Amino acid sequence: MEATNGTPQSKAGDWRSYERVLLPPVKDLHRLEVYEQHGGYDALRTVLTDDSLTPGDVTQAVKESGLRGRGGAGFSTGMKWSFMPEPDDRPRYLACNADESEPGTFKDRQLMEYNPHLMFEGILIACYAMQIDACYVYTRGEYVDWIDHMQVELDKLYDKGYVGDNIMGTGFSTEIVMHKGAGAYICGEETSLLESLEGKRGYPRYKPPFPAQKGAWSQPTTINNVETLACVPLIVNRGAEWFASTGAEQHPGPVLYGISGHVNRPGVYEYPTGMLITDLIDEVAGGVRGGKALKALIPGGASVPPLRADMIEGVTMDAESLREAGSLFGTGGMLILDEDTDMVSWLRRVTHFYQHESCGQCTPCREGTGWLEQIVTRIDEGEGRLRDLDLLLELGDQMEGRTICAFADAAVWPVRNTVKRFREEFEAKCKKSVHPTGAEVSAGAETAA
Amino acid sequence: MSQFNVKRPIVGLPEQDPEPQFSDDELVWTDDEQAKIERWKGQYPDPKAAIMNVLWLAQEKFGWLPPEVIQLCADTLDMDYARAFGVATFYTQYYKEEQGEYVLDVCTCFSCQMMGGYDIFHYLEEKLGIHDGETTDDGTFTLKEVECLGCCGSAPMMQVSNGPYVHNLTKEKVDQLIENLRAGQMPTFTSVTLPQDEDEMGGNRRTDVQPEQVETYQTPPRAEATE
Amino acid sequence: MPTITIDGTTYEYEGDHKVLQFCLDEGVELPHFCYHPAMSIPANCRQCLVKVGTPKINRETGEPERDDDGNVQIQWFPKLQASCTVDVQDGMVVKTHRSDEEVQAAQKDNLELLLINHPLDCPICDQAGHCPLQIQAYKYGPEGSRFEFRKVHKPKRVKLGPRVTLDAERCINCTRCTRFTDEVSESGQLTINQRGVKNYPLTAPGEDFDDPYSMNTIDLCPVGALTASDFRFKARIWEMSSTPSITTTNATGSNCQYWVRDNLVLRITPRQNMAVNEYWLPDEDRTVYEQFNNDRPTGPQIRTGGNLAEARWPQAYARAAQDLSSVDPSEILFLGSAHATVEDNYLLTQLADALGADAPRYIPHVEPGAGDDWLITDDKTPNAQGCERLGIRAVDEQMIRSKMDAGEIKLVYVLEDDPVAAGLFTEEQLKGVSVILHHYNTTNQTLPAADVALPAAMVVETVGTYVNQDGRAQRVRPAKEIRGVNRTLMMEMGKARQDTHGTPFDKWYNEENRVNCKPSWELLPEIAERVGHPMDYAKGPKQVMDEVQSTLDAFAGATYDAMGLKGVQLEDVETGETV
Repeated sequence: MEATNGTPQSKAGDWRSYERVLLPPVKDLHRLEVYEQHGGYDALRTVLTDDSLTPGDVTQAVKESGLRGRGGAGFSTGMKWSFMPEPDDRPRYLACNADESEPGTFKDRQLMEYNPHLMFEGILIACYAMQIDACYVYTRGEYVDWIDHMQVELDKLYDKGYVGDNIMGTGFSTEIVMHKGAGAYICGEETSLLESLEGKRGYPRYKPPFPAQKGAWSQPTTINNVETLACVPLIVNRGAEWFASTGAEQHPGPVLYGISGHVNRPGVYEYPTGMLITDLIDEVAGGVRGGKALKALIPGGASVPPLRADMIEGVTMDAESLREAGSLFGTGGMLILDEDTDMVSWLRRVTHFYQHESCGQCTPCREGTGWLEQIVTRIDEGEGRLRDLDLLLELGDQMEGRTICAFADAAVWPVRNTVKRFREEFEAKCKKSVHPTGAEVSAGAETAA
Repeated sequence: MSQFNVKRPIVGLPEQDPEPQFSDDELVWTDDEQAKIERWKGQYPDPKAAIMNVLWLAQEKFGWLPPEVIQLCADTLDMDYARAFGVATFYTQYYKEEQGEYVLDVCTCFSCQMMGGYDIFHYLEEKLGIHDGETTDDGTFTLKEVECLGCCGSAPMMQVSNGPYVHNLTKEKVDQLIENLRAGQMPTFTSVTLPQDEDEMGGNRRTDVQPEQVETYQTPPRAEATE
Repeated sequence: MPTITIDGTTYEYEGDHKVLQFCLDEGVELPHFCYHPAMSIPANCRQCLVKVGTPKINRETGEPERDDDGNVQIQWFPKLQASCTVDVQDGMVVKTHRSDEEVQAAQKDNLELLLINHPLDCPICDQAGHCPLQIQAYKYGPEGSRFEFRKVHKPKRVKLGPRVTLDAERCINCTRCTRFTDEVSESGQLTINQRGVKNYPLTAPGEDFDDPYSMNTIDLCPVGALTASDFRFKARIWEMSSTPSITTTNATGSNCQYWVRDNLVLRITPRQNMAVNEYWLPDEDRTVYEQFNNDRPTGPQIRTGGNLAEARWPQAYARAAQDLSSVDPSEILFLGSAHATVEDNYLLTQLADALGADAPRYIPHVEPGAGDDWLITDDKTPNAQGCERLGIRAVDEQMIRSKMDAGEIKLVYVLEDDPVAAGLFTEEQLKGVSVILHHYNTTNQTLPAADVALPAAMVVETVGTYVNQDGRAQRVRPAKEIRGVNRTLMMEMGKARQDTHGTPFDKWYNEENRVNCKPSWELLPEIAERVGHPMDYAKGPKQVMDEVQSTLDAFAGATYDAMGLKGVQLEDVETGETV
């Protein structure tokens, strides 16, 4: 996106002097005592004790803040909460999605490591706003150390009366349960997560009915990502306006960027949304490793389309700008690839991932992901044909939008866009074809040149 | 280029009636374990939801999940054996086959791939003389190629036996790790410091993590596998 | 009344429907694999995709928006929808492959994907010929495949249980089988195992798939992944005829098809009847097919000089008549049968009546605890209810034994049963008694004591009526030829492809498979005539049943036409007081 005056415009304001709020620089903030010393659980107390704050008001504030889910889909959190039916005699559940498995994404783990109470507080406020009876924190099984650490803090919360019956003496009660996954990417999909929570194979469910009507154990359920819930206490403490005015207008708030790949300083960074990608790469992450040129960027995890280096000029990290640029915000897990990267080889690994993680329920995904991998592998091994590239694109059309969940879409997008955006690399790897008239024609080299 | 041909074993016929690995005397829960299970059962509206926890518990207890252990888990929760079996086979972290003493789950998913995950994986293959999914003859190590473990910034990395993560792997670090494991010394939890914390707080923020357990995000040199 | 428009045709509807089922009910065919009306909807095969739209509603007025021509504007769902999951709504517009190219393409694409890892071994697959995957691939699928790689290999020839064999490579993971064991039979014995493209259904390790209803998964399987262990490679579907009938293993009278090739019954499959067995058939109803083929008698026999010797039919009738006439009617015990049809039992009562003997009794075959409150009953006979309604009572064992001991029984006439095996008499006790026996198999334990042995047609060879335990009268039709019957002349017999389309060379059969037996409705009038009481049923059992239903209230309404394929529910009567 080009700014009007011709120079790239960040939407993150004066980000160089940004003060972190999700991961503020406080030693041992992960401990309840320290968290409370720094104003922790004030937001919860406010929400529970201020009689003028009804559950609906909290939801409204979240809606007004413009908070969008940080798990990948970027749906308005306040809207999602408002889909919950009016409380009746049925139990109601919240699932905190801590099944962070999107390749290239590692920010929730850091949040759970350094500021788990922000998440717990967010959960409790969400539970109040939606009148939830129990929240399950579905954490991927690989994060066993973090689960153990969080359990210690959760036990403290129970001891202190911040979770369980009659929280803070206000009469509001809710439970928080840590649930440990066991190795399945698909369980990050919200309905698959619910199946897994119920102790079943993680097969996504079709919608409607949506989880708000029929979720865990067929009861009204909302599923929110860790970072999303961690934003909630900030909204309560600092106000929806503050949140809405931080970062990009349409996709506001502080956000954790997980930067990995060929940069000098990878890691998780907290800044407002709407950061210029170039700022993030060149300044925040210290530039491309070895002074190399940038080749490609995957802005938000494996499932989003990669952007070529020449496509990121002026693009900011928020849903709108990235959509215009031809990608998605996803999880904000940015993979930076330098000029020496073999995109075919990279895509081969991506397709292998989707083949390995497809749950196998729907035909197009179960069969298609493996087929995609085989075609890309063949190209990568130099045995591909030019028509394989078209087949990859056609196969993508055959899979996309025809399955129960969005996994097939997520598997197709990187394939389609990598093939389209780096086509010459693919062509260069394809086998030379023999022209029907007998003259040998170089398929790849010529087109690439 | 593309040196990541990983040998994938051909899946044979499922053993329909395998010899039990554990005797009936062994297939019992201790009081402590039973208490844990009861607590988990109470945490869900339907106690069957505790199956994932119970399978985890069984795996910790028995090392892996042969059929009779899965059956024990199913019986414990009064659920169909077949359903428990279906759950156990869906999730990759449940070991349906006997594993080495240490399981090395090397991440090769694309961030790690780009940072040399396959170098590490192939180095281990060579060092241990085994391929993906195989166990060394002495039963010490099982090597696995796994999908993203959520530590892309400190790639390449691995997880040891469904436990601690080992970050920023190099060949030297792998050598050291293997040596330590042979000596029975498991790696411990490692905290990877946020770059912003280094700038603003001079390093790691957690005082309960010992300095030797702290790493920073690093970028390894160019991976051989991508050259 | 609310309406829905499918491919331009508008249908009125009432109540709640899913689009797929609604289309099927209306005769609009939609390809599908995983959907089954009796089970939950997983929507996983993705074959039934259609385009769905609903009227655009103006938010202010609440009225549908119209274009310039006054047509209601339709808002199309952004993606194709699996019609099995979509609720029918008023004003909904559905486009299937008949009217929409995108849907057509989607169905074709899906079939290509379904087939890439499918072994395509139709030439050796039992399912070929009636395989939903094969049929729909021909109908809606692509002409070829662009898949050029090695297919995923999975276990083949896995013995899931005593009766079901799995070929996992053929499986398309529709989960019908696992849903059946979870939701219908509730044995929970099957699960999908593994993940992604490697997955397939399996029992837990070491577990046998011995669900008493396990073979229903074979019918449900839309491919050849689950096949019947004892039917594998026996016959191609187009070589067999299938005849709609009912099973006689128990008192449910489950509706079934008998599959016959060369006059051998090779398998028995369920036939839908929502009033009886719905879609299902217990395994015990299916595994009995061999009794129709094996140990069948070669012809009538009469005892001469102490030995049973082969005879011609008229000789056997004459001998039976002679024996019947040579004893006092009060010394004859007529045994009806809960295995035999209403018509046959009725004729037997006619004969007993004509002779002035006591009314026939029948031997109950009840195994307490064998039933399951579903399709398997304690009663192991199909027609005890029919006997009762005819006024035939269960035998009073003690009384009969004491009469036997006292020598008051001189002749026992057994209609299609085995009193020795049933423990009513010992072979020894029958030594001094004349025994006329209608029997099915040479294994009949009363046979060694018989003086006249009359091979009787079994349920697959005769025409008749059975009344199940709930008072439902249902017809059986001949599925296989016996000596003297020609399938092309027998209008109701199921026909195989070669019967209708084959050359004479295709219509070969082995003569020995045509059993030399006769239906009891043919045997009894022959004997009756010879004892001086001719019966006039020129039109056979149909005429018999007409008489039964018009003279006995307990059978009112049960004409052949009324019973048709689904049977007639008879009025409840106090059994034991009807005649």
